[in-house]
Order: sequence, then structure tokens, then C-alpha cells
Amino acid sequence: MTTYNELAGLRVNYLGSDPTLNTGNEGQVWYNSTSGTLKSLVQLKAWSAGSNMATARGALAGAGTQTAGLAFGSFNPTVTGTTEEYSGYTWSTGGTMNTSRGRLGGAGTQTAALAFGGFIPPTTGATEEYDGSTWTNNPTGLNTARERLAGAGTQTAGLAFGGVDTATTGATEEYNGSSWTSNPTGLATARSFLSGCGTQTAGLAFAGDAPSVPGNTAATEEYDGSSWTAGGNMVSAQNSLAAAGTQTNAIGFGGGAPTGFPSTGNGEQYDGTSWNRGPTMGTARYQLAGAGLASAALAMGGRTPTASAATEEFNSTIFSPATGAWASGGNLGTARRNIAGAGTQTAGLAFGGANQVSTIFYANTEEYDGSTWSPGGNMSTARRALGGTGIQTAGLAFGGLISPGPTTNATEEYNGSTWGPGGNLGTARSGVAGAGTQTAGLAFGGNVAPKNQTEEYDGTSWTTGGTLGTGRADLAGAGTQTSALAFGGEATTTTNATEEYDGSSWTAGGSMNTARQGLAGSGNQTAALAFAGSVTANTEEYNGSNWVSAPPMATGRTYLAGCGTQTAGLAFGGTVAGAVTAATEEWTGPQTTATASTLTTS
Amino acid sequence: MALFIYGTATNTGKGFFTAEDRRNFFLRGFPGNVWVVGNSEKGALWLAEKNGVEKTKAEAQAIVDAEVTAAQAAYDALPEDQKNRPGFNQRPTAITLP
Repeated sequence: MTTYNELAGLRVNYLGSDPTLNTGNEGQVWYNSTSGTLKSLVQLKAWSAGSNMATARGALAGAGTQTAGLAFGSFNPTVTGTTEEYSGYTWSTGGTMNTSRGRLGGAGTQTAALAFGGFIPPTTGATEEYDGSTWTNNPTGLNTARERLAGAGTQTAGLAFGGVDTATTGATEEYNGSSWTSNPTGLATARSFLSGCGTQTAGLAFAGDAPSVPGNTAATEEYDGSSWTAGGNMVSAQNSLAAAGTQTNAIGFGGGAPTGFPSTGNGEQYDGTSWNRGPTMGTARYQLAGAGLASAALAMGGRTPTASAATEEFNSTIFSPATGAWASGGNLGTARRNIAGAGTQTAGLAFGGANQVSTIFYANTEEYDGSTWSPGGNMSTARRALGGTGIQTAGLAFGGLISPGPTTNATEEYNGSTWGPGGNLGTARSGVAGAGTQTAGLAFGGNVAPKNQTEEYDGTSWTTGGTLGTGRADLAGAGTQTSALAFGGEATTTTNATEEYDGSSWTAGGSMNTARQGLAGSGNQTAALAFAGSVTANTEEYNGSNWVSAPPMATGRTYLAGCGTQTAGLAFGGTVAGAVTAATEEWTGPQTTATASTLTTS
Repeated sequence: MALFIYGTATNTGKGFFTAEDRRNFFLRGFPGNVWVVGNSEKGALWLAEKNGVEKTKAEAQAIVDAEVTAAQAAYDALPEDQKNRPGFNQRPTAITLP
């Protein structure tokens, strides 16, 4: 019988390393045999609004990056030499160009920019260099004065191409930091209102108004430092777009068709061979400026047709999911069960507990720094099955069992080094859960019939809160005093019930998939983590409505403690088949994104 | 081919197993420092790097059984009023390794 493998090969690519993370591999799924992981690549692309420029304008030029952008010149509503600098958050005023103009070309960075050509009027070949504060005239301008041109490269290796002098031209000139040199081989398609990006030796020209069409062209041309060759045509013939990126990974955005009207927010992406539609900008416009990379671009100003001050940022990130997982952490100094915990994964607090057969109760505290546990101050009351909440430097301990057996209502407050007395619980109990902070704490459930009492702590005293719908002990808790979560525990039988507290009453939430008691939890009411309990290693994640299973801990256990968040949890201590453990495990939640910088691999 | 490798190794704390390890191969801890590891090149390498001592499944099960038996004996030796106290759970039960 013919198998699928024989017909189609392996169902999933089996690769020794990740493929190139660019648009060419978008949608691919592969098995990385080196890391032993299944991976996929989906690019998430979107425009988002940045802060507006101080001066609304069209037919300006741009340079720099998304987080260090430069906008200069304009034609609409007036001809200016105004310069503004973008930090990634806000615009600030830069030095004004010596020659006010619009429809100019630009290149370089925020601190080493180049302005050339444009329309004053008349058409000019003037060239200026920007050092981050001041524009300086270069007495030798473009050999061919022109406007509506495009530019690429840097301040010391610039490229000017296309535009209009007395007629539409394909003229190309290279700048070496002091003068322009004409290349006798110009663009194959002479055009104005074109777009350009890349470098002096790997430039890209696309779109524009070409008399040879006549009208807008979709033609793309690639420059190698000496001549232009044809690239893939754009999806739509347009003019007056902005550009960002490189010759092999570029983005064009905005523009108009035909001849500037209507303005569009279209985006297209080029991979060195072909163009594909990209996401649409928030503000449709033409004669705008662009800067940055194809994975992190900046759109500045333009016309709608009125002059715009709008700034938008384009980002493309890789979605390459990795599941959450538990890793080993530093071992507790004292292995123990029925322990309490507070704090975060990198600033955790463990206190109280008992030995294997609960004949020795502990008062000692340990502090976790993300790697190791070190001794903290001792509680005045040794106890197990207590409740805990707060942070490493402001912890709260309450209730529990004290040797030789009675329950306590004692509360103690930790300041990062020593424990001091707090107000007593109204109802002494063990197996109680906690949430909130030292000054806004919550205690709920516990081994006092009917196991449903809730008390709220204000930093001084406890007052009665709403009762749990399902009374239980040895449950877990998460969240705050006014937005808490109770899950699992021992009711009449072991339960999977979840309840949500709003500061006054408990209501039912989604049930856990695995009923258990003696479990631990972390997070908050809408993003919680439940782990271990009833000898299991099971982990579940709560989203405010439902629990879903997540990868288990390495060592299943009961009567452990936990703290942290849904994406950075900490589990420590407990009992493994009757024996106490000092083992700590650290949870790292699913990792879903990689930086856009890995997109370009040309 | 067997699904798992069995061995003993001491959990030395941070870095003993990483999140990447957990994503790469099956790993479960049991009493007596017994670890059950997915039978793969990565799993075997992990056990070797942790100075683990490979055991047969029967040997590993015997170690776990001995630990559970000791815990049961400790529980059985408790006075009756100490047993089944709140938050103490029941007598430790047997564990069967996967």
C-alpha cells in the first residue's frame, strides 16, 4: 500500500535548524531536530498610531529608524525647512534646513541625514547634511536639479534617482559624502513621485508617475551600485508612497492612484522577488515620508489631501510559539509540607510547615531570589497548614495548626527581615487560603465547619467577608482582596470547584479539569495557575472563565506552596508520597513572540 | 524500543532540569531520587550529565516502593489521634512507575 510519506514525503519538515524567518516561510510548520521542538512561523503585521508631529505637512522627506526618525521639509501647506526628530514616543524640534523646500529626497539617520533636491520653487539640486542638530549646505548640489525624486543610502553613501527636472527623468546620482556623481545608466522607467529605499549598492525604486505608461507604474527596479535591473511588479500601480527597508525586504505604504487621488492607506511588502499586500494604514494619505525597516517602519505626515501630522508605526513580529514549562529552582533549606508562600518567582517567601509526619512544626522563613533560598526571620508561632499572602518584604501569615494540634487565629506580618504581630483572625482555622496584600489581605476556607468563612484584613484587623459557595479546606487562592479566586480543595470530597470574589461575595467560576486538594496557585482572578495537589503534577491555566491543561510539573506533590503569576510561577516544598521535599520548580508560561529583528536574513 | 529510561539522580536545584529540557523530553520525579526520562538521545544525555545512575524499571520501582513503604511505616507508627488530622491526608499509597 502506498503511504502518505511515499506520496508526499514527511508530513512536517524535519530540519536541523530553523529556516530563514522571512515572509517566504510564512505559514510553515517544521520540526527542529536540534532543539527537538515543533515550530511554526506566522508574522503578525500591523500599523499603530504614534504621536503627531508638531507641523502637519505633505511632500516632506524622512530618514532614520522607527525609534529615531527624522522628518524635514514640506510643500504642503507651505514650503518649509522645518525639521522634527522622533524618539519612538514623541516629536521634538530639530534644526531648520537652510533651503526651505518640498518634494525633496532624503537618506541617512537622525544624526547623520542627507537632504537633496526638491522644489523651492524653482526646482533645486541643493544638498544639505544634518548632524543631529544643524543642517549644513554642501556647495556642490545634485548634477541634475529636480523634484519629486527618491533617495536611499546614507549621508556618506547616498543615492538619488528619478524625479522631474524639465521633464520626468530616470537620472541616478551617487553621493560620497562630499559630491554627487552621475551614473549614465539611469532608471529604465523614468518616473516622478516614486519611492525608494535600501543602500547605494543595493537600492530599490518602485511605483511613481511614469510618462511611458502613461500614468502610475507598478514597476520595480533594483540597483546594484552600477545599474538598475527589473524587479517584481507591485500589486497596484501607485505614486507618492513612502518606503522603508532594504532591497530584499521592503515595504511601501500610503500613496495615491491615479495621480495622487484618492489617497490610500495601502501597504505592500517586497521580498526581493515579488510584492504582496500588507496591512492598511490607519490614516490614508499620499506624499508622506517613511523611514526604518520593513519590520519596524515609520510613516510621517503626508496629505489626505489636507496636510497631516499623523505618525504611524508598522511592526512585524514572528509568532513562534513555545509551550510553558516547569524547570527546577533552588532547593529549600528545609524540606517541609503544609507550607505557606508569598511573593514572586524572583522574590519569593516560604514560611511555616512541618516535617514528614507532622511531629515537628516550623517557624522558619526562607527568601528566594530566583536562584537560591536563604534564611529569613522566624515567625513567633511555629505552625503548618497556615495561610499566606503578600510579597517578600511585606508578607502575611495567618491561621494554621500549632503543635501539638490546636488551630490558631494568630496573624503575623513580615517586613523583609522580621515577623511582627498582626490582628487575630476572627475564626481560628487550618488549611486556609489567602490572597491580596499585607494591608488588604483575604483569608477564605479552612478546616472549620462549614469551611466557607471569608475574612478581610486591612493591615490591622480582620472583618467578615462573603461566604464561599462550596466550603472547603486545603484549597488554593490567587488575586486580590477585591478580585480573588478560590479553586480546588477538600469539601465533602475533593473538589474542582472555582469561585470568584468581588470584594463582597463569591460567585461560581469555571471548574478545574482535575479535582484536587493540597494544591497551590498563583496569578490573579483572570490569569491564574493551579498546580500539583492530590499527588498529581497537573498544571492548569485559568483565563477568567475556563481552566485549560498545561504541561505538568516534574514532581507531583501535595501540601506545597506557590506564588508568582500565571506566566512566572513558583512551586516549593510539599509531600511526595508521604516524604517531604525541598524541591522548587519555576513555571515559565508560553512564549509566543520573537523580536522582529530576526525577520531579515538577507 | 522502551518508552522510558529509569535512573536515580540528585536534584541539585536550579538548572537541574530546564524549561527547554521539559519541552524536549518526558521527565518525571519520584521518591528516592528516581527519575523517569523519555527514551531519546536528549533524555539519555540529560541523565548522564546529571551524574545519574541508570536503573532497570524493576530496580527503579523497588527504590520507589522502599520509600513509600518507609513513609507508610512512619505513618503507621503515629498515635491514632495523630492520623488523619486536618491537612495531613491519608496513609501514603503505592506508586507505579510509568
